[in-house]
Amino acid sequence: MLAQAPHPVSNVQTTPYVRVDGLNKRFGALHVLKDIDMTIRAGARVVICGPSGSGKSTLIRCINGLEPFQKGTIELDGITVGKNARDTAKARRQTGMVFQSFNLFPHLTVLANCTLALRRVLLKPAREAEEIAMQHLTAVRIPEKARAYPAQLSGGQQQRVAIARALCLNPRIMLFDEPTSALDPEMVKEVLEVMIAIARTGVTMVCVTHEMGFAREVANEIVFMDDGRIVEHASCKAFFSAAAHPRARLFLDTIMSH
Amino acid sequence: MGFNLDFALSTIPTIIGAIRATLLATVLSCLGASALGFTFEIIRRGGGAPGLAVRFLIDFIRSTPVLAWLYFLYFVMPFYGIRLGAMTVGIMGLSLYYSGYLAEVFKAGIDAIPKGQQEAARSLSLSRRDTLVFVIAPQMLRNVAAPLGNYLVSILKATPYLAILAVPEMLGRAFDIASETYRYAEPLTVAGILFLALALIVAYGVKRIEQRLLASGRR
Repeated sequence: MLAQAPHPVSNVQTTPYVRVDGLNKRFGALHVLKDIDMTIRAGARVVICGPSGSGKSTLIRCINGLEPFQKGTIELDGITVGKNARDTAKARRQTGMVFQSFNLFPHLTVLANCTLALRRVLLKPAREAEEIAMQHLTAVRIPEKARAYPAQLSGGQQQRVAIARALCLNPRIMLFDEPTSALDPEMVKEVLEVMIAIARTGVTMVCVTHEMGFAREVANEIVFMDDGRIVEHASCKAFFSAAAHPRARLFLDTIMSH
Repeated sequence: MGFNLDFALSTIPTIIGAIRATLLATVLSCLGASALGFTFEIIRRGGGAPGLAVRFLIDFIRSTPVLAWLYFLYFVMPFYGIRLGAMTVGIMGLSLYYSGYLAEVFKAGIDAIPKGQQEAARSLSLSRRDTLVFVIAPQMLRNVAAPLGNYLVSILKATPYLAILAVPEMLGRAFDIASETYRYAEPLTVAGILFLALALIVAYGVKRIEQRLLASGRR
């Protein structure tokens, strides 16, 4: 089912980095993830798409240990996620997460948002933490707002800060949970540009998004979900040229016609 | 026997002399009640047996009169060999009593913080303690500044309860003068005005702090 990665620039490894096995998740009576099996190789850039309510966000949140689940296993770099706190924390140290609603700390400046974990988790001295943070703020093209508070920024700027904050911990995998869905249309582009730049660094990326243009440009694999199941997991090229599943074709038709 | 202004003025130095005890009791009780209330709320949030015990304790504290606590601590504890000064018992009693209310205030303040804040802290690998200190507590303080200020004024106004333990605070001192002179209107009026002045100062201070907290980084 998993086609060969088509992009010539790809540095995708053959070793699985994330392995999801028989994952089942319920919110009460609602069965949101049904027998999910998925492998993401190191260096892969995966876009998860599908109609709303299909379980995409829940899946990515499970990978970051933010959602408990009832059955199955998730392994990240061989570390089990979601079973015990210590391993989940260990896996998280390799993971950067970007949320739909940014979740910046409103009482801290942009710079302090970025340095908090550097100082408290990696125990970097203040000076070094600020240097690292400024590097990443420069990379997301917002260094001039380092002293501003999140509320003084536009949505696009806030999301770029959130991306920089996640990058500060030097993650090996970046998870994006609908990073542009809460943005005004004119701000989507600046965030996607930053994400494209991150993709070029070779970090493993998993991104839940409806931005099919972005998917086509950046992803080497597409996962299509519907009603709590992965109905298609294909190379980007294969998915866009000939999605196998009728639900996926319908979804593409709907989204592309806009 | 009308209101004698000269007599009223003559009582001011004596009553103001007791302002030290009133302020000491207020400040230490505020600190004690805040620390205890916050600790209670964190334990309650943790759940389990300790959470349940604290939940019961908070309800128990809130449904008993503050005077009962003061009498209990002052007159019953010595039977068990615990003998403390009147001021110490007074501060303990007020701290304990108001901690139950402040725990509720802190609960509301923490509940109002969006869930995404905790999630962001977790995905950044911050420890539980760091999340509490650097993410939750500062935002909670901003949310609770106004109700917390109200309770701080309440604590100030509750210090006259300590008169029953013979703590020399302002209202007690005023009443002493009244008992000695059989003139009640003047010393009680003076004490009332002094309490009003203190309460206004506290309220103004809280307002300023609240404005500062809100000014930093909120739309």
